[in-house]
Amino acid sequence: MKELFKPIAIAIAAVCTPAVSSAADWTPPGPITMYIGFAAGGGADTQARLIAQGIEERYGWKVLPQQLTGNSGLSLAAELAKAPADGTAIGMVVSETLTYSALAAGADDIQLDKFTPLATTASFEFGLVAMADGAFDSWDKVDAAAKAGNPIRFGVASDRQADVAYLFGKSAGIKLNIVPVKGGAGVMNGLRGGDLDIGWVAGAQSKPVKQGEMVNIASGIPAALKDSPDAPMITDLGSTFYLDGYFMFIAPAKMDPAARSSLRAAIEEVLNDPATEAHTLVTNGFDGADVITGEALDAKMKGLLEDATNLLDEASKG
Amino acid sequence: MIEVLNYIWLGVLAVFQGPELFSILGYGIPASPAMVLGGLLTGIAVGATPGLAGPMAMAISLPILISIFGFTPDALLPVFGFLIGIMKGATVGGAVPAILFNMPGTPDALMTTLDGHPMAQNGQPRRALKIAQLSSVTGDTFSDLVLFICAPFLAVFVEAYLDQPEKTALLILSISFIAAVMGGSVGRGLLSVGLGLLAAFVGTGQSLTPRLTAGVEGLSNGFPLVAAILGVLILGEIFKSFEDTIRNAVRKAKAAAPPPVGLIDDLEKGDIRRIAPHVARSAVIGTIIGALPGVGSTLAATLSYTVGRHRHEKTHGNEEPRFGYGAPEGIAATEAANSAVSGANLIPVLSLGIPGNAAAVFLILAADSIGGFNPGPAVFNFTSPDINPELVTAFGIFTLMSIGNLLNWTIGGRFMRSMGVLARVPSPILLPVVLLLTLTAIYVQETSLFALWVIFAFGVLGYLFRRSDIPVLPFVIAFILAGPLEQTAHEAFAASGGDPWFLFRSATSVIFMTAAIASVVLLGRGRQAGG
Repeated sequence: MKELFKPIAIAIAAVCTPAVSSAADWTPPGPITMYIGFAAGGGADTQARLIAQGIEERYGWKVLPQQLTGNSGLSLAAELAKAPADGTAIGMVVSETLTYSALAAGADDIQLDKFTPLATTASFEFGLVAMADGAFDSWDKVDAAAKAGNPIRFGVASDRQADVAYLFGKSAGIKLNIVPVKGGAGVMNGLRGGDLDIGWVAGAQSKPVKQGEMVNIASGIPAALKDSPDAPMITDLGSTFYLDGYFMFIAPAKMDPAARSSLRAAIEEVLNDPATEAHTLVTNGFDGADVITGEALDAKMKGLLEDATNLLDEASKG
Repeated sequence: MIEVLNYIWLGVLAVFQGPELFSILGYGIPASPAMVLGGLLTGIAVGATPGLAGPMAMAISLPILISIFGFTPDALLPVFGFLIGIMKGATVGGAVPAILFNMPGTPDALMTTLDGHPMAQNGQPRRALKIAQLSSVTGDTFSDLVLFICAPFLAVFVEAYLDQPEKTALLILSISFIAAVMGGSVGRGLLSVGLGLLAAFVGTGQSLTPRLTAGVEGLSNGFPLVAAILGVLILGEIFKSFEDTIRNAVRKAKAAAPPPVGLIDDLEKGDIRRIAPHVARSAVIGTIIGALPGVGSTLAATLSYTVGRHRHEKTHGNEEPRFGYGAPEGIAATEAANSAVSGANLIPVLSLGIPGNAAAVFLILAADSIGGFNPGPAVFNFTSPDINPELVTAFGIFTLMSIGNLLNWTIGGRFMRSMGVLARVPSPILLPVVLLLTLTAIYVQETSLFALWVIFAFGVLGYLFRRSDIPVLPFVIAFILAGPLEQTAHEAFAASGGDPWFLFRSATSVIFMTAAIASVVLLGRGRQAGG
């Protein structure tokens, strides 16, 4: 039945909405390939697929989601940079990919200036997470244990997180054994299995924190965490860097301005419409849509790039 | 305890209330049980066809299933259902051509020919098939029960007592053990494992620039997992069969003689009583052997048959046929053992994430491709009130296996007895069909021509392995375990603060490492002395 109603729904939407939609001024010259830099089935992947579905239903454009994972999103970046800049190829990554990771990898063809940022979808809610009722459920306990000579096992899921953790430990004057694991899920599994003491999680900790299994002992972003408003910010504890960032859509550089504005409007409308599944997912799983586009996004990316440059400089001083 | 029962119930519900396949008169037919049935019938047919085996059918159906059910966690149980159905069906079906035509349908049915075929030639093919089915399903059910009980306990034990360094040592032990016991010599086993690890290290790792790609861009994410494994396991086998077919004349299937007048071709009075002790003994042997990764069903069948013959020599009456001359006990001893291996083989898979045979490889591959279920000790995390979806999936798998057994008991036998005709399919027709299906299946999943080049390259590798008598399964298992091995080793090393001796800091990991070295040294010596 769903298959029967879908075209009807699209037809109705097509008849009713063109006047209000700025995205309707432009039509993609062919099906849009949407590269997804996240493992199939995870939260970020589902988010991308639901946005693709929302765009298809709203505008009748054909969107083909395709997984392209690996190397912190850089595999996707390398492929997307070669794709045509006419709006038929877009990709979903995290802002970290085009800032920290691209700088650290160094290759010219994957730097931020080779891409057009389209729109962010949601922001990170990075917390420094530990098991509730454990030996490390507050920063004081972590600090005391470390100063008593017990190295702290600190789970991280990317090089940027490792650098921030390393500099954090250095400035706080404690010894951290930084353990690279796979994703926020890997950090949480490590905490549960007793293989890690504390670690960064970018938002997936929300459920276990609400249920009292884990705690955010500090906020890794320049704001209080929604789940744990009382947790101190890591900058209050001695860190000089944050782990702020976004899930975002990008396209190749030198994109046709009409295509850019239409695509970003399409993403924005789907995410901000409470009737879409994408909106529901982002609200429940990512603490709400956080859509930044256009010049504001360009400025944001510039700021994040500067932060990443400073972080790399600082970390390489040893 | 209530928690455990709750999870079991959720697992059962997940199977029966999962996605619907289609609905009849408003009643939805849940996909998962229906897929078990489909898989079981496919498996019996495949097992009954000489030249095809369960893993081949699993390999071809996996990409097709994934393209039907998609990459959502909802797809896990239907896909597992079909694969488990094939696994169970193939062990039963393998007995059909073995009994009727003296050609084992699957390698582990070789010993079934020894008594099954003579009994069929004496005019009782139906009786032989019934005994084979009864023994096979009993052995399978027994080992499944052992799996249901042992896997959660083993996993909880591992998670509670083993830290990252011990888990690393355990993985090293498993890989060494597999290298030592599979194939003709330890050296060949180690070679196979080493090449598997090397292939898996291409393009992976934590560095931002992919390693070992030799500048080939398609490799920046490593070899596509499914293409590489199917290449070695399936294409390699097909290439070798092509060569065999060209070199040798095709064996013609010969039908059994019609029963002499007056002989009733069905289970005889007392048959069940006669085979019961043999089935029980073989089920235990098969289960124990199956629980060790890498030791296959062929060894279980051989060992059980030998032990069974020994017992039978002492106890049998004068009128009863001896082993090798159509003894029902011989069929029972073999079939119960080789089927008991299949359930127990999943103990290391579900509790440790270590595959022990080709069927287990494809279950891990399915879990890996779909996502949302990572076989390993973390699965058996009885969280509450937050439901652990992986644990529900695990109990869903147990439910699927029980359904498979029920179907095998009831309709499996009837279906199996009608499969004799498949043994006559000539391999010059069969092999190209399988080849085409495999390539199509790969292309469906990977949608890139590069994957086809990869599968061909690995197919050639698999062919060379077979021609040089190097076992292929250690290669595949090492290829799969390389990622977890590197990851746990990396984590253990980092968590210890960069201690190079992290593998030797606790008694448990020292024991595992010693056992790893001992398995290679001692099992190698034993075999040289024996052979």
